[in-house]
Amino acid sequence: KLFSTSSMLSTENDKSAASKDSSTEVASKSQKGTAEAPKQKLLDIIGSMTVEVSYRKKLKQLKTRKPLNPELVEAVSAVASSLPLSKKQTESELLAQLRRHEETTDKQKKGGIINIRNVISEMAVKRQSPAQRGMRISSRISLKLDEDDQRIKSLQNFFLVSSPTIWDLEFAKEIAAVTAQPPRNGFEEMIQWTKEGILWEFPIDNEAGMEDDAEFHEHIFLEKHLKDFPKQGPIRHFMELVICGLSKNPYLSVKQKIEHIEWFQNYFEEKKELLQEI
Amino acid sequence: MAASMLDWALRAARQVLPSPCTRQVRSYYVDWRMLRDVKRRKLAYEYADERLRINAIRKNTILPKELQEVADKEIADLPRDSCPVRIRNRCVLTSRPRGVKRRWRLSRIVFRHFADHAQMSGVQRAMW
Repeated sequence: KLFSTSSMLSTENDKSAASKDSSTEVASKSQKGTAEAPKQKLLDIIGSMTVEVSYRKKLKQLKTRKPLNPELVEAVSAVASSLPLSKKQTESELLAQLRRHEETTDKQKKGGIINIRNVISEMAVKRQSPAQRGMRISSRISLKLDEDDQRIKSLQNFFLVSSPTIWDLEFAKEIAAVTAQPPRNGFEEMIQWTKEGILWEFPIDNEAGMEDDAEFHEHIFLEKHLKDFPKQGPIRHFMELVICGLSKNPYLSVKQKIEHIEWFQNYFEEKKELLQEI
Repeated sequence: MAASMLDWALRAARQVLPSPCTRQVRSYYVDWRMLRDVKRRKLAYEYADERLRINAIRKNTILPKELQEVADKEIADLPRDSCPVRIRNRCVLTSRPRGVKRRWRLSRIVFRHFADHAQMSGVQRAMW
Protein backbone atom coordinates (compact mmCIF):
# COMPACT_ATOMS: atom_id res chain seq x y z
CA LYS A 1 0.00 0.00 0.00
CA LEU A 2 2.82 2.34 0.87
CA PHE A 3 4.41 1.75 -2.50
CA SER A 4 1.23 2.42 -4.42
CA THR A 5 0.55 5.71 -2.61
CA SER A 6 4.10 6.93 -3.10
CA SER A 7 3.97 6.06 -6.80
CA MET A 8 0.73 8.00 -7.15
CA LEU A 9 2.33 11.01 -5.49
CA SER A 10 5.43 10.86 -7.68
CA THR A 11 3.46 10.50 -10.89
CA GLU A 12 1.24 13.43 -9.94
CA ASN A 13 4.30 15.58 -9.28
CA ASP A 14 5.71 14.70 -12.63
CA LYS A 15 2.51 15.38 -14.49
CA SER A 16 1.94 18.76 -12.88
CA ALA A 17 5.25 20.17 -13.98
CA ALA A 18 6.08 18.05 -16.99
CA SER A 19 7.81 18.88 -20.22
CA LYS A 20 6.59 17.34 -23.46
CA ASP A 21 9.13 14.48 -23.48
CA SER A 22 8.89 13.32 -19.88
CA SER A 23 5.09 13.39 -19.94
CA THR A 24 4.84 10.85 -22.76
CA GLU A 25 7.36 8.56 -21.07
CA VAL A 26 5.71 8.84 -17.66
CA ALA A 27 2.25 8.37 -19.13
CA SER A 28 3.31 5.14 -20.80
CA LYS A 29 4.93 4.04 -17.55
CA SER A 30 1.92 4.83 -15.37
CA GLN A 31 -0.35 2.90 -17.74
CA LYS A 32 1.85 -0.13 -17.39
CA GLY A 33 2.19 0.25 -13.62
CA THR A 34 -1.49 -0.18 -12.93
CA ALA A 35 -1.88 -3.09 -15.28
CA GLU A 36 1.12 -5.30 -14.46
CA ALA A 37 2.77 -7.10 -11.54
CA PRO A 38 4.21 -5.33 -8.45
CA LYS A 39 7.73 -5.88 -9.82
CA GLN A 40 6.93 -3.62 -12.73
CA LYS A 41 5.55 -1.08 -10.23
CA LEU A 42 8.85 -1.06 -8.40
CA LEU A 43 10.74 -0.52 -11.64
CA ASP A 44 8.39 2.30 -12.53
CA ILE A 45 8.84 3.92 -9.15
CA ILE A 46 12.60 3.78 -9.49
CA GLY A 47 12.35 5.11 -13.03
CA SER A 48 10.08 7.96 -12.03
CA MET A 49 12.40 8.80 -9.15
CA THR A 50 15.29 9.23 -11.54
CA VAL A 51 13.08 11.36 -13.75
CA GLU A 52 12.40 13.67 -10.80
CA VAL A 53 16.10 13.94 -9.97
CA SER A 54 17.04 14.94 -13.51
CA TYR A 55 14.12 17.36 -13.81
CA ARG A 56 16.14 20.49 -13.08
CA LYS A 57 18.67 19.51 -15.70
CA LYS A 58 15.89 19.12 -18.22
CA LEU A 59 14.49 22.57 -17.44
CA LYS A 60 17.91 24.05 -18.09
CA GLN A 61 18.21 22.12 -21.31
CA LEU A 62 14.78 23.25 -22.45
CA LYS A 63 15.72 26.88 -21.96
CA THR A 64 19.03 26.66 -23.78
CA ARG A 65 18.14 24.47 -26.75
CA LYS A 66 19.04 25.31 -30.29
CA PRO A 67 16.33 24.67 -32.92
CA LEU A 68 16.56 21.35 -34.78
CA ASN A 69 17.39 21.10 -38.43
CA PRO A 70 14.08 21.54 -40.35
CA GLU A 71 14.99 18.80 -42.82
CA LEU A 72 15.40 16.37 -39.95
CA VAL A 73 12.06 17.40 -38.49
CA GLU A 74 10.44 16.72 -41.86
CA ALA A 75 12.15 13.34 -42.01
CA VAL A 76 10.87 12.59 -38.51
CA SER A 77 7.31 13.40 -39.48
CA ALA A 78 7.60 11.26 -42.63
CA VAL A 79 8.94 8.31 -40.60
CA ALA A 80 6.21 8.72 -37.98
CA SER A 81 3.50 8.72 -40.62
CA SER A 82 4.95 5.62 -42.28
CA LEU A 83 4.92 3.60 -39.04
CA PRO A 84 1.77 1.86 -37.79
CA LEU A 85 2.16 3.20 -34.17
CA SER A 86 0.49 6.38 -32.93
CA LYS A 87 1.87 9.28 -34.96
CA LYS A 88 2.17 11.94 -32.29
CA GLN A 89 3.88 9.67 -29.80
CA THR A 90 6.43 8.43 -32.31
CA GLU A 91 7.10 11.93 -33.52
CA SER A 92 7.72 13.25 -30.04
CA GLU A 93 9.96 10.34 -29.16
CA LEU A 94 11.96 10.64 -32.35
CA LEU A 95 12.43 14.34 -31.75
CA ALA A 96 13.59 13.61 -28.21
CA GLN A 97 16.12 11.11 -29.56
CA LEU A 98 17.31 13.66 -32.11
CA ARG A 99 17.77 16.33 -29.49
CA ARG A 100 19.69 13.99 -27.23
CA HIS A 101 21.89 13.00 -30.14
CA GLU A 102 22.52 16.64 -31.04
CA GLU A 103 23.56 17.37 -27.50
CA THR A 104 25.99 14.47 -27.35
CA THR A 105 27.59 15.45 -30.66
CA ASP A 106 27.91 19.03 -29.47
CA LYS A 107 29.56 17.89 -26.26
CA GLN A 108 32.00 15.76 -28.20
CA LYS A 109 32.88 18.61 -30.54
CA LYS A 110 33.52 21.03 -27.69
CA GLY A 111 35.29 18.76 -25.20
CA GLY A 112 37.54 16.73 -27.50
CA ILE A 113 40.14 15.90 -24.83
CA ILE A 114 38.90 13.06 -22.69
CA ASN A 115 38.74 14.15 -19.09
CA ILE A 116 40.03 11.48 -16.75
CA ARG A 117 37.85 12.85 -13.99
CA ASN A 118 34.84 12.00 -16.08
CA VAL A 119 36.18 8.50 -16.60
CA ILE A 120 36.58 7.98 -12.87
CA SER A 121 33.25 9.63 -12.07
CA GLU A 122 31.65 7.38 -14.67
CA MET A 123 33.14 4.42 -12.87
CA ALA A 124 31.55 5.71 -9.66
CA VAL A 125 28.25 6.55 -11.32
CA LYS A 126 27.91 3.10 -12.79
CA ARG A 127 26.60 1.96 -9.41
CA GLN A 128 23.38 3.79 -10.14
CA SER A 129 22.82 1.85 -13.34
CA PRO A 130 20.48 -0.76 -11.84
CA ALA A 131 18.21 2.09 -10.78
CA GLN A 132 18.30 3.56 -14.26
CA ARG A 133 17.75 0.16 -15.78
CA GLY A 134 14.04 0.36 -15.00
CA MET A 135 13.82 3.58 -16.99
CA ARG A 136 15.83 2.14 -19.83
CA ILE A 137 13.71 -0.99 -20.06
CA SER A 138 10.45 0.93 -20.17
CA SER A 139 11.82 3.39 -22.71
CA ARG A 140 13.09 0.53 -24.82
CA ILE A 141 9.70 -1.16 -24.80
CA SER A 142 8.00 2.02 -25.85
CA LEU A 143 10.44 3.03 -28.55
CA LYS A 144 11.54 0.09 -30.75
CA LEU A 145 12.69 2.57 -33.39
CA ASP A 146 16.37 1.74 -33.64
CA GLU A 147 16.52 1.37 -37.41
CA ASP A 148 15.01 4.77 -38.04
CA ASP A 149 17.33 6.36 -35.53
CA GLN A 150 20.27 4.90 -37.33
CA ARG A 151 19.06 6.30 -40.60
CA ILE A 152 18.87 9.74 -39.05
CA LYS A 153 22.15 9.35 -37.25
CA SER A 154 24.04 8.24 -40.34
CA LEU A 155 23.33 11.67 -41.81
CA GLN A 156 25.22 13.34 -39.02
CA ASN A 157 27.45 11.03 -37.21
CA PHE A 158 30.98 10.39 -38.38
CA PHE A 159 32.62 11.85 -35.35
CA LEU A 160 34.08 8.75 -33.70
CA VAL A 161 34.98 8.73 -30.01
CA SER A 162 38.76 8.34 -29.98
CA SER A 163 39.81 5.52 -27.69
CA PRO A 164 41.79 6.70 -24.65
CA THR A 165 45.52 6.87 -25.36
CA ILE A 166 48.11 4.78 -23.51
CA TRP A 167 49.07 7.78 -21.38
CA ASP A 168 45.50 8.28 -20.28
CA LEU A 169 45.23 4.63 -19.36
CA GLU A 170 48.48 4.81 -17.41
CA PHE A 171 47.29 7.87 -15.56
CA ALA A 172 44.01 6.18 -14.70
CA LYS A 173 45.90 3.14 -13.44
CA GLU A 174 48.15 5.35 -11.29
CA ILE A 175 45.19 7.07 -9.73
CA ALA A 176 43.47 3.75 -9.08
CA ALA A 177 46.63 2.40 -7.45
CA VAL A 178 47.06 5.46 -5.23
CA THR A 179 43.44 5.63 -4.14
CA ALA A 180 43.07 1.90 -3.54
CA GLN A 181 42.46 1.41 0.16
CA PRO A 182 43.11 -1.94 1.82
CA PRO A 183 39.81 -3.82 2.21
CA ARG A 184 37.89 -2.83 5.30
CA ASN A 185 35.99 -6.09 5.60
CA GLY A 186 35.63 -9.55 4.12
CA PHE A 187 33.19 -8.39 1.46
CA GLU A 188 35.59 -5.84 0.04
CA GLU A 189 38.35 -8.41 0.13
CA MET A 190 36.20 -10.79 -1.88
CA ILE A 191 35.36 -8.01 -4.33
CA GLN A 192 39.06 -7.32 -4.81
CA TRP A 193 39.79 -10.99 -5.32
CA THR A 194 37.02 -11.25 -7.92
CA LYS A 195 38.49 -8.29 -9.80
CA GLU A 196 41.94 -9.88 -9.76
CA GLY A 197 40.49 -13.16 -11.00
CA ILE A 198 41.36 -15.17 -7.90
CA LEU A 199 37.71 -15.72 -6.99
CA TRP A 200 35.16 -16.92 -9.48
CA GLU A 201 31.97 -15.05 -10.17
CA PHE A 202 28.81 -16.40 -8.58
CA PRO A 203 26.46 -17.92 -9.70
CA ILE A 204 29.05 -20.12 -11.34
CA ASP A 205 29.06 -19.87 -15.09
CA ASN A 206 30.39 -23.13 -16.46
CA GLU A 207 31.42 -21.44 -19.67
CA ALA A 208 33.33 -18.54 -18.11
CA GLY A 209 36.31 -17.65 -20.26
CA MET A 210 35.12 -19.93 -23.04
CA GLU A 211 33.80 -18.05 -26.04
CA ASP A 212 32.65 -20.74 -28.36
CA ASP A 213 30.16 -19.17 -30.74
CA ALA A 214 29.91 -22.24 -32.94
CA GLU A 215 26.71 -24.25 -33.24
CA PHE A 216 26.55 -27.95 -32.44
CA HIS A 217 26.54 -28.95 -36.10
CA GLU A 218 29.92 -27.34 -36.61
CA HIS A 219 31.33 -29.53 -33.88
CA ILE A 220 29.82 -32.81 -34.99
CA PHE A 221 29.63 -32.77 -38.77
CA LEU A 222 33.31 -32.46 -39.62
CA GLU A 223 33.23 -34.47 -42.84
CA LYS A 224 33.34 -31.33 -44.97
CA HIS A 225 36.93 -30.80 -43.79
CA LEU A 226 37.86 -34.15 -45.32
CA LYS A 227 37.39 -32.95 -48.87
CA ASP A 228 41.08 -32.96 -49.78
CA PHE A 229 41.74 -36.44 -48.57
CA PRO A 230 41.66 -39.51 -50.84
CA LYS A 231 38.31 -41.23 -50.68
CA GLN A 232 39.55 -44.76 -50.42
CA GLY A 233 42.27 -46.40 -48.48
CA PRO A 234 43.71 -46.55 -45.00
CA ILE A 235 44.24 -42.78 -44.70
CA ARG A 236 40.56 -42.11 -45.22
CA HIS A 237 39.71 -44.78 -42.69
CA PHE A 238 42.12 -43.22 -40.20
CA MET A 239 40.78 -39.70 -40.74
CA GLU A 240 37.21 -40.85 -40.30
CA LEU A 241 38.17 -42.30 -36.94
CA VAL A 242 39.88 -39.02 -36.06
CA ILE A 243 36.75 -37.11 -36.95
CA CYS A 244 34.58 -39.47 -34.94
CA GLY A 245 36.78 -38.86 -31.91
CA LEU A 246 36.84 -35.08 -32.40
CA SER A 247 33.08 -34.88 -32.75
CA LYS A 248 32.69 -36.52 -29.37
CA ASN A 249 35.15 -34.15 -27.69
CA PRO A 250 33.34 -31.37 -25.80
CA TYR A 251 36.51 -29.70 -24.56
CA LEU A 252 37.95 -28.46 -27.82
CA SER A 253 36.75 -25.47 -29.79
CA VAL A 254 35.90 -25.78 -33.47
CA LYS A 255 39.09 -23.96 -34.39
CA GLN A 256 41.23 -26.42 -32.53
CA LYS A 257 39.48 -29.34 -34.19
CA ILE A 258 40.01 -27.84 -37.62
CA GLU A 259 43.66 -27.25 -36.75
CA HIS A 260 44.08 -30.91 -35.87
CA ILE A 261 42.59 -31.99 -39.19
CA GLU A 262 44.72 -29.52 -41.13
CA TRP A 263 47.86 -30.70 -39.40
CA PHE A 264 47.10 -34.24 -40.49
CA GLN A 265 46.48 -33.01 -43.99
CA ASN A 266 49.88 -31.30 -44.13
CA TYR A 267 51.57 -34.32 -42.63
CA PHE A 268 50.17 -36.71 -45.18
CA GLU A 269 50.97 -34.26 -48.01
CA GLU A 270 54.60 -34.29 -46.96
CA LYS A 271 54.67 -38.06 -46.73
CA LYS A 272 53.04 -38.55 -50.14
CA GLU A 273 56.20 -39.87 -51.81
CA LEU A 274 56.75 -42.33 -49.04
CA LEU A 275 53.15 -43.46 -49.30
CA GLN A 276 53.38 -43.94 -53.04
CA GLU A 277 56.38 -46.22 -52.62
CA ILE A 278 54.22 -48.47 -50.51
CA MET B 1 76.18 -19.17 -20.01
CA ALA B 2 75.55 -18.97 -16.31
CA ALA B 3 74.76 -15.26 -16.56
CA SER B 4 72.27 -15.80 -19.37
CA MET B 5 70.67 -18.63 -17.43
CA LEU B 6 70.40 -16.39 -14.41
CA ASP B 7 68.82 -13.66 -16.54
CA TRP B 8 66.34 -16.11 -17.97
CA ALA B 9 65.60 -17.42 -14.52
CA LEU B 10 65.04 -13.95 -13.13
CA ARG B 11 62.77 -12.97 -15.98
CA ALA B 12 60.87 -16.20 -15.79
CA ALA B 13 60.58 -16.10 -12.05
CA ARG B 14 59.45 -12.55 -11.59
CA GLN B 15 55.72 -12.25 -11.87
CA VAL B 16 54.48 -8.69 -11.65
CA LEU B 17 50.85 -8.36 -10.61
CA PRO B 18 49.04 -5.31 -12.01
CA SER B 19 47.46 -4.37 -8.69
CA PRO B 20 49.42 -3.60 -5.47
CA CYS B 21 49.78 -6.93 -3.70
CA THR B 22 50.04 -7.04 0.07
CA ARG B 23 50.76 -10.77 0.17
CA GLN B 24 54.16 -12.40 0.26
CA VAL B 25 55.74 -12.11 -3.17
CA ARG B 26 58.31 -14.66 -4.23
CA SER B 27 60.63 -13.43 -6.92
CA TYR B 28 62.81 -16.54 -7.33
CA TYR B 29 62.13 -20.22 -7.70
CA VAL B 30 63.18 -22.29 -4.73
CA ASP B 31 66.00 -24.13 -6.49
CA TRP B 32 67.35 -25.05 -9.89
CA ARG B 33 65.52 -28.35 -9.95
CA MET B 34 62.26 -26.47 -9.63
CA LEU B 35 63.31 -24.23 -12.49
CA ARG B 36 64.10 -27.21 -14.68
CA ASP B 37 60.70 -28.66 -13.82
CA VAL B 38 59.08 -25.38 -14.84
CA LYS B 39 60.90 -25.48 -18.17
CA ARG B 40 59.75 -29.02 -18.76
CA ARG B 41 56.16 -28.07 -18.05
CA LYS B 42 56.31 -25.17 -20.50
CA LEU B 43 57.79 -27.29 -23.26
CA ALA B 44 55.35 -30.10 -22.62
CA TYR B 45 52.50 -27.59 -22.99
CA GLU B 46 53.91 -26.27 -26.27
CA TYR B 47 54.46 -29.66 -27.85
CA ALA B 48 51.37 -31.34 -26.40
CA ASP B 49 49.31 -31.12 -29.60
CA GLU B 50 52.10 -32.38 -31.86
CA ARG B 51 52.87 -35.28 -29.57
CA LEU B 52 49.19 -36.19 -29.46
CA ARG B 53 48.92 -36.22 -33.24
CA ILE B 54 52.11 -38.15 -33.87
CA ASN B 55 51.15 -40.68 -31.25
CA ALA B 56 47.76 -41.06 -32.92
CA ILE B 57 49.62 -42.10 -36.06
CA ARG B 58 51.91 -44.43 -34.20
CA LYS B 59 49.38 -46.26 -32.06
CA ASN B 60 47.37 -47.51 -34.98
CA THR B 61 46.51 -50.71 -36.72
CA ILE B 62 45.16 -49.10 -39.88
CA LEU B 63 48.06 -47.08 -41.28
CA PRO B 64 51.00 -48.85 -42.90
CA LYS B 65 53.91 -49.77 -40.69
CA GLU B 66 56.45 -47.77 -42.63
CA LEU B 67 54.51 -44.63 -41.89
CA GLN B 68 54.43 -45.54 -38.24
CA GLU B 69 58.17 -46.06 -38.18
CA VAL B 70 58.68 -42.63 -39.68
CA ALA B 71 56.42 -41.20 -37.00
CA ASP B 72 58.49 -43.01 -34.37
CA LYS B 73 61.60 -41.27 -35.55
CA GLU B 74 59.83 -37.92 -35.61
CA ILE B 75 58.66 -38.12 -32.07
CA ALA B 76 62.13 -39.16 -30.95
CA ASP B 77 63.47 -36.02 -32.61
CA LEU B 78 61.34 -33.75 -30.50
CA PRO B 79 63.15 -32.12 -27.53
CA ARG B 80 63.51 -34.45 -24.64
CA ASP B 81 61.96 -32.03 -22.16
CA SER B 82 58.73 -31.91 -24.13
CA CYS B 83 57.43 -35.24 -22.94
CA PRO B 84 55.03 -35.00 -20.00
CA VAL B 85 56.51 -38.04 -18.33
CA ARG B 86 59.50 -36.01 -17.19
CA ILE B 87 57.37 -33.64 -15.16
CA ARG B 88 57.58 -34.21 -11.44
CA ASN B 89 54.92 -32.79 -9.13
CA ARG B 90 57.17 -31.05 -6.67
CA CYS B 91 56.12 -29.18 -3.57
CA VAL B 92 55.37 -25.61 -4.54
CA LEU B 93 57.02 -24.06 -1.51
CA THR B 94 59.97 -26.32 -0.77
CA SER B 95 60.51 -28.15 -4.09
CA ARG B 96 60.40 -31.49 -2.32
CA PRO B 97 59.91 -34.23 -4.92
CA ARG B 98 58.41 -36.81 -2.59
CA GLY B 99 55.55 -36.78 -0.14
CA VAL B 100 53.55 -34.18 -2.10
CA LYS B 101 49.77 -34.18 -1.87
CA ARG B 102 48.29 -33.35 -5.25
CA ARG B 103 45.30 -31.38 -4.03
CA TRP B 104 47.41 -28.78 -2.27
CA ARG B 105 50.63 -29.14 -4.25
CA LEU B 106 52.47 -29.08 -0.92
CA SER B 107 54.84 -31.50 0.72
CA ARG B 108 53.70 -33.26 3.84
CA ILE B 109 55.89 -31.16 6.11
CA VAL B 110 54.67 -27.80 4.84
CA PHE B 111 51.10 -29.07 4.83
CA ARG B 112 51.39 -30.08 8.46
CA HIS B 113 52.96 -26.75 9.36
CA PHE B 114 50.15 -24.74 7.82
CA ALA B 115 47.39 -27.02 9.02
CA ASP B 116 48.62 -26.78 12.60
CA HIS B 117 48.70 -22.99 12.40
CA ALA B 118 45.10 -23.07 11.09
CA GLN B 119 46.08 -21.60 7.74
CA MET B 120 44.54 -24.34 5.64
CA SER B 121 40.88 -23.77 5.02
CA GLY B 122 38.74 -26.73 5.95
CA VAL B 123 41.58 -28.86 7.26
CA GLN B 124 41.30 -30.19 10.75
CA ARG B 125 43.17 -32.76 12.83
CA ALA B 126 41.50 -36.11 12.39
CA MET B 127 40.03 -37.75 15.41
CA TRP B 128 37.63 -40.63 15.30
